Amino acid sequence: MLIDKKRVKRNKALDKFFRGFFMAMAILSSSFIVIIVLFVCAKGISPFLPGYEYGQVDLISFLTGSIYRQDQGLYGVGFIIINTLISAFIALLISFPLSVLTALFIAKIAPKKLSAAMQSVVELLAAVPSVVYGVFASGVITGIVEWLASLFGIVTYGGSSLLAVVLLLAIMIFPTLTSMSITAIKAVDPNLEQASLALGATRTQTNFKICLTAAKSGIFAGAILGLGRAYGEATAVAMVAGNKLFGPTFNPFDITRTLTSTMLAGLKETTGLDYDIRFSVGLVLIVVIFFSNWILNIVKKRIGRNSVA
Amino acid sequence: MNRLVKDNILKGITYVASALSVIVLAAILWYLVSNGLSLISGDLITGDYYATTENAAISPDYSYTEMETQEYSGKGYYSKKWGIALEDITTAHNDEEISVVYVDPNSPFTHMNSLVAGEDGMELSLSSGSAVQNIYYEDQNGETVFLSRVQMKDAENTIKTLEEAEGIVSINYESIGGGIRGSIFATLYLILISLLISLPIGIASAIYLHEYATKNKINSLIRQGIDTLTGVPSIVYGLMGVTVLFPVTQLVGATSTSILLGGLTLAIMLLPTIIRSTEEALIVVPKSLRDGSLSLGATKSQTIFKVVLPCAVNGILTGVLLGIGRVIGESAALVYTTSTVISDNPSILSQGTSLSLMIWSIMSGEQPNYELASAISLIILVIVFAINIIVKIIGKRLAKSFV
Amino acid sequence: METCFDVKNIDLFYGEKQALKNVNMEIYKNCVTAFIGPSGCGKSTFIRCLNRMNDLIEGCKVEGEIIKDGLDIYSPKQDIVDLRTRVGMVFQKPNPFPMSIYDNIAYGPRCQGLKDKKKLDEIVMTSLKQVALYDEVHDRLGESAIGLSGGQQQRLCIARCIAMSPEVILMDEPTSALDPISTSKIEDLCLELKKDYTIVIVTHNMQQAARISDYTAFFLMGEVVEMDKTDTIFSHPSDKRTENYITGRFG
Repeated sequence: MLIDKKRVKRNKALDKFFRGFFMAMAILSSSFIVIIVLFVCAKGISPFLPGYEYGQVDLISFLTGSIYRQDQGLYGVGFIIINTLISAFIALLISFPLSVLTALFIAKIAPKKLSAAMQSVVELLAAVPSVVYGVFASGVITGIVEWLASLFGIVTYGGSSLLAVVLLLAIMIFPTLTSMSITAIKAVDPNLEQASLALGATRTQTNFKICLTAAKSGIFAGAILGLGRAYGEATAVAMVAGNKLFGPTFNPFDITRTLTSTMLAGLKETTGLDYDIRFSVGLVLIVVIFFSNWILNIVKKRIGRNSVA
Repeated sequence: MNRLVKDNILKGITYVASALSVIVLAAILWYLVSNGLSLISGDLITGDYYATTENAAISPDYSYTEMETQEYSGKGYYSKKWGIALEDITTAHNDEEISVVYVDPNSPFTHMNSLVAGEDGMELSLSSGSAVQNIYYEDQNGETVFLSRVQMKDAENTIKTLEEAEGIVSINYESIGGGIRGSIFATLYLILISLLISLPIGIASAIYLHEYATKNKINSLIRQGIDTLTGVPSIVYGLMGVTVLFPVTQLVGATSTSILLGGLTLAIMLLPTIIRSTEEALIVVPKSLRDGSLSLGATKSQTIFKVVLPCAVNGILTGVLLGIGRVIGESAALVYTTSTVISDNPSILSQGTSLSLMIWSIMSGEQPNYELASAISLIILVIVFAINIIVKIIGKRLAKSFV
Repeated sequence: METCFDVKNIDLFYGEKQALKNVNMEIYKNCVTAFIGPSGCGKSTFIRCLNRMNDLIEGCKVEGEIIKDGLDIYSPKQDIVDLRTRVGMVFQKPNPFPMSIYDNIAYGPRCQGLKDKKKLDEIVMTSLKQVALYDEVHDRLGESAIGLSGGQQQRLCIARCIAMSPEVILMDEPTSALDPISTSKIEDLCLELKKDYTIVIVTHNMQQAARISDYTAFFLMGEVVEMDKTDTIFSHPSDKRTENYITGRFG
């Protein structure tokens, strides 16, 4: 018998310790989300409370305001919220069909080698850091926008514009949408496809009518994720947004201002209210993402009722 | 319409959609390469970002007669007499400069003492890459003559003037800035700090979730909390960093935002990535191995450390690599936490920028420097793509390992 | 003959589902006891009760007593790790750890804190010799155990178990994943090992039970229908259902 009583006792104590340690770490990990929300809330709300050291800000005019000028102490984010929603949604509208088609191509249509190559392309696009997209956007996309504007005889602010933001975001959320769609399409029950083929549908008809319909819930989940990324995208967007002082912006060739670009603008040389108010903007961003996800998840449940994946 | 034609049109559309993504990737690479590739060199990687001006006199110990300079046949105009070769260049900031391309080891310019107040007598050596601003030399009559930047005109003329000189008194030169050494170090610090903290917490959390957690409300709450972290925009992590973690860094002596603060913030941001890839690896470890170990009288923690974790090492490595990729690419979370001040000699408690943040810093300034930004982007992309490929290879090995 | 396990009124539930019903039996020392029965009859579930491996399954609840050395192994006083060092187990599929052959066998003793290299060497050698694997692998102890054949892997797992010098070795269908030659090697091994150990084996193969066991228990739908000396069970079963099963009417 190899049992050493002391050793057994020590092992048992160690075992208990590690169990506790693992659990503590897991609780710590998950508590960060609470910490994030709590502290950003606390700091973000402070400018609206009486007794705020740099002079209380009116919450209603903050939320509904249509001018954001730190030099005049005017902080209204109403138009910025609208700008953020507009740019993210239009980006989704552009990116969504392209990514679904690309996903279908990779999952079903492309020959094996081409499919693997395309999968790598999507993965590489996903790996490009946002700041690099930003460099690309301010170097190339702004040029395209300027050229387009000149066709209409419009002069832009060096290409920085709502359109540039939209195109940039469309590119940036494309990998997320595509890879989620690929997963959803690949998860479609092959029996469904065979049933369709057995009814005399062609391969392509089956791909478009059966696979896409059956996978729509998963594809929609990708769209929700992509939209979340579009709202929260910061540095790249800030490079081409132009930071308009009032709005909202509906003209694609006009400059715009999103929640994230507001949070980054002129951060280097700022203190006091102008610094603190960025936390309020961040809080608004969290709320926007939360509500958008909440509403879209309800829509997703409706859509998903007769879907498999 | 013919069904076949219709099918082919639909198929064609998917080909076009896919081609678009290839075009975008190609356009990004083309843009970065055409703008940035020419800038990438050893000097870029090892150099300072800020140009420094040096004023130095030839050391009194230097003897012209004892030191013999060698012939030189590289580019630029060479003066064998002084062992220095000069060349005309245009800098990243569009300035015309006369740049040093070669300095002979026996040249007087390698034996100089600083004339700058505060650094009196510090030994200096002219290195290639520096831009010459003005020179004091001795003419045939033994008189000291001032050769200003304007009088130099270009490299050829400067060398010609110097060849006629009898001695060199002092030189004023500027090191060429725009280097990224400081940011590389800052990036390495960030990677180190964030992984050092994120790895143990993340791995332990994954172990709890997969090996211990039974299905109950608390555990599903824990899981939900971690999953929600994934959807938080990185800029919000930055906000959390300055409010929650800044006091923590103050405890160890930080007085402003710092690389340490950035690293701590990124550590939290990496948690979901590390937890997920560790858990995915734990799932693949067969249950029979755990049973085997437990049936031999090993405790649960012994089983985890000796059998389960060694089997999951590939997955953990994947998490580490993905984490490194994210740290290298991250910018928004760092804007608030490490500041956007580029530093040439960053330390853990100082401000500084990672490579990505440096791009943001030079692009959001008054005069964006597209060439430098593209060059850094290119470096980042190469690293990130390499990481992606390695992760893919590991993933394939992981899938095969327990069949 | 000395009793090793005295099983009294064991009921086992997976959540709401009852998997074992009122199991009673005595398992004797230095004998081979075989559990037979159709798949899903509870024989594997029961053998996992004997070293409390069922504790690892969520929602599993055991009622009743299994007395070993005067102590109910399900009583709170029983240390599970201690129990498992005394009651070893060999599984259906060979499950060597992805480490070297040597490390596989030294695993158990090392977990108990044994670090003495000489002692470990000795344990590894004698264990391998006991399962007749030593001659086949003595020159590659440092190589990965994954490279061994299925039969060798299973014998390694038995050696790994022996290295702990347990009193009992539980074998849960140890040959179901092996070829006939490896199977017969393991069967021979069982007969050899029963001199030093108590062996409990679950098998779906009646011939195997007849060949190697001293006692046989027939399980059906979570109950022990009959338990007796192996000769008796196979020649004069007292229950009709046992006879039907043995003669191949169902299975």
